[in-house]
Amino acid sequence: MSGYRFDKLKILVVDDNPHMRKLVVTILQAFGVIQIFEAADGERAWTVLRETNPDIVIADWMMEGMSGLELAQQIRSHPQTPNPFVPIIMLTGHTHIDQVRQARDAGINEFLAKPVSVKAVMTRLTSVIENPRPYVRTKVYFGPCRRRRAGDYQGPERRAETAKQAAE
Amino acid sequence: MARQKPIELFMPPNMLKAKVGGGTGGGLDMAAIKRAETAMESLKGEFAGWAAQDVQKLEAARGRFAKTPDADARAALLRAAHDMKGQAATFDYPLIARTAGSLSKMIHDTTKPIPLGLVDAHVSAIHVIYRDKVMDASNKVALVLIEELEAQVAAFLAA
Repeated sequence: MSGYRFDKLKILVVDDNPHMRKLVVTILQAFGVIQIFEAADGERAWTVLRETNPDIVIADWMMEGMSGLELAQQIRSHPQTPNPFVPIIMLTGHTHIDQVRQARDAGINEFLAKPVSVKAVMTRLTSVIENPRPYVRTKVYFGPCRRRRAGDYQGPERRAETAKQAAE
Repeated sequence: MARQKPIELFMPPNMLKAKVGGGTGGGLDMAAIKRAETAMESLKGEFAGWAAQDVQKLEAARGRFAKTPDADARAALLRAAHDMKGQAATFDYPLIARTAGSLSKMIHDTTKPIPLGLVDAHVSAIHVIYRDKVMDASNKVALVLIEELEAQVAAFLAA
């Protein structure tokens, strides 16, 4: 038993599908989370985020208007972000490796693949509580370290080089 | 290898852990999981209505795309198919999830104009699976249909 005080958490759930939001909110409430904020799109999520400063954001990837990826990038890098370190759990049906890389590069901490299961939600919450990743700041990226291990990395910025080569 | 560009790597204080405490050995809170599974069961009564709404939403997106197959209509159709792929398994319709997955793959994996006939075949299959309440993932008739749709999508994407 973890013995977490989930009742102390503030969680923002962002999904344009009301059924999926209700599913996630129901699970969180059963875990004991009391302060749950909902948003149906990325723009509204940004407003709610700034008003409530949640401890965790659970966001869908594919939404009309601002996508979950764009929201994550904004949370990490916007000057008015209330907390650039807030853990972001990306709710997604995308499981292709390229899409996983894309989300990692946007600064998300964990994936929650659809269909959603209770155990998967608990596992991701436990992971962001118990195993936070170090953060990285480079010229082209700010967010959780895309490697799982902390360390004093001294090598080249391979992702930046790859992105530059792809652009060329 | 020598450092080529400045990289700042740091560990912010774990405010989350400080807030929620607990975590004896990092194990999962099985009591909370049990409560949530019970809550999910209680939601199942609503799933049929939710699935019906998702099918209607997909059919509406198909109608919009058929009328005006522009980028917005294509994006709306992809979102509807993608939502359905993600949710149908939760609603106990695994074959709808698979069919919707095939449809969203066809739309997502190419920038080519997508054939309305193949969109319609997917939407019709989903409609029939839902209408006949096919919840068994091994239903032979439905599987033959889905495998054919997946083959058609693969051929379209490869062409």
